[in-house]
Amino acid sequence: MSSVYRLTLRQLSGRWRLLITLLLAALPVVMGVMWRLIEGDSFPDLEYQEVALNAMLAGAIIPLITLAIATAAFSNEVEDRTLANLTLSPIPRWQIVVPKLLGSLTIGGIFLTVSALATSYIVFSGDMTATIAITAGAVVAIVLYTTVFLWAGLLTTRSIAFGLLYVFLWEGLFSQNVTVVRFLSIRHYAITLMHRMDDRLFADGEHLSTGVVIGAAASVFVIFLLLAIRRLRTMDVP
Amino acid sequence: MNLSTNSTEPVIRVENVSRWFGSVVSVSDVSFDIKPGITGLLGPNGAGKTTLLRMITGLAEVSDGSITMFGEPVRNNSHLYRRIGVMSEHETVYEFMKGREFVKMMGRLKDVSNLDSAVDRAISLVDLADAAHRPMGTYSRGMRQRMRLAATLVHDPEILILDEPLNGADPRQRVHFQNLLKQLASEGRTIVLSSHILEEVEQIAETVLLIVNGKLAASGDFHAIRAALDERPYHIRVISDSPRELASEIVKLESVDAVNVDPDGAIVVLSRNVRDLQIELPRLAQKKSVRVRRVEPLDDSLESVFGYLVER
Repeated sequence: MSSVYRLTLRQLSGRWRLLITLLLAALPVVMGVMWRLIEGDSFPDLEYQEVALNAMLAGAIIPLITLAIATAAFSNEVEDRTLANLTLSPIPRWQIVVPKLLGSLTIGGIFLTVSALATSYIVFSGDMTATIAITAGAVVAIVLYTTVFLWAGLLTTRSIAFGLLYVFLWEGLFSQNVTVVRFLSIRHYAITLMHRMDDRLFADGEHLSTGVVIGAAASVFVIFLLLAIRRLRTMDVP
Repeated sequence: MNLSTNSTEPVIRVENVSRWFGSVVSVSDVSFDIKPGITGLLGPNGAGKTTLLRMITGLAEVSDGSITMFGEPVRNNSHLYRRIGVMSEHETVYEFMKGREFVKMMGRLKDVSNLDSAVDRAISLVDLADAAHRPMGTYSRGMRQRMRLAATLVHDPEILILDEPLNGADPRQRVHFQNLLKQLASEGRTIVLSSHILEEVEQIAETVLLIVNGKLAASGDFHAIRAALDERPYHIRVISDSPRELASEIVKLESVDAVNVDPDGAIVVLSRNVRDLQIELPRLAQKKSVRVRRVEPLDDSLESVFGYLVER
């Protein structure tokens, strides 16, 4: 597995990809610093939480970065026709998918986790409860989005378009306006976890219970990981 | 290395295999056995060779039929890949990776013991030790092919499946490659090699599978197929100053089956012995003081050669 993991790290460590990831991940931090400079030491109000944490971090920055990285983990190999190097090796398919997932999480996850941690620490003036809650919610979103987009990279050559539609329509539009969609929204899982770990965050929203979110998040992770493994077993490898 | 495979038993068995993409049939009801030695899979571009090889290696699903290696199904049978080396026709490589790193990674994926010595051996087999520490992005097309072959050989496979492996190779590399394959085959390996170039396969393959339009058009000993090709009549077009006068002389030649003069004045000769025609035509033209401006084969394309064999 380590060979595939190291290969994935090198494939995803292109200079431009890392630079764009760094710039996008830095946006919430920069916004947090500006907010702190303007607002002083006050606890961020709901409007800031909705705009910066919900819409920007959980609704745009995390899904877009994970989309760019996780889809590339497989789709680049499919386009370059190098995936056969892996599938023609005597290793089970899960030993290809899991290191690809871990490689994608390493590249995208580090930037995004540091971004969430730094943003929340700055904005909440070092309040560790809020900082840990926001970082934990972000980590859950990073893992789930990465798993879904990894599968999408194997499913279609138009995985970026698929991902953008998913992010902006499903997560952005429907999950915010259709109550039932929240049961199937990664963004909403993240926001709910943040709220459950620190009830000062997103205090006015309708949230799922902790048990439902943990169960649903675990299900999404397992189902999409299994779908990716199954897809790699059944697809025609170019 | 001498492999213990019984040479009378087929190593690869393809039974009634078909593959279709929507309404397009790419491979149609193909059956054959492959035994140790070098087998050439020959056919024009688009004949279905690559699809067939991809199904044999388990990269693609068969729509119908079955394929086995050593008596086992290949698809989703990953442990078989310890015994198989596959080199696809695509020349893409991990450009950021050095040649030796690539071969080593492939060896690690194939669970090779004594990895470093296996990597050195594979790279020396393809004669690329000097370039092994350069990124593959800097390699020529031929060098990439050779380093990919080294990666295919690193685990010392019993079966080698090579799709158009001589693409991009210069004449010296071709000779080296052909000698290498002969050596590997003499050690008891089973090698399947695809090509759309008849002469390329002729020089190394003992057995030929001829694929045309997704069907197995001919199979067996290469020399028998080659003999059939030698009997094939050729159409040759001759442009001259005085076509009727020249045609009347050409038709008298024993090697000529028929002569027609087109409305545009070109002579079309049907001959089973082109060499004889090559010798006689200038002599006849000189005898009749006719100026020959152009001589061209009308059906020398590979497709027409395959078409002839299919029609027989």
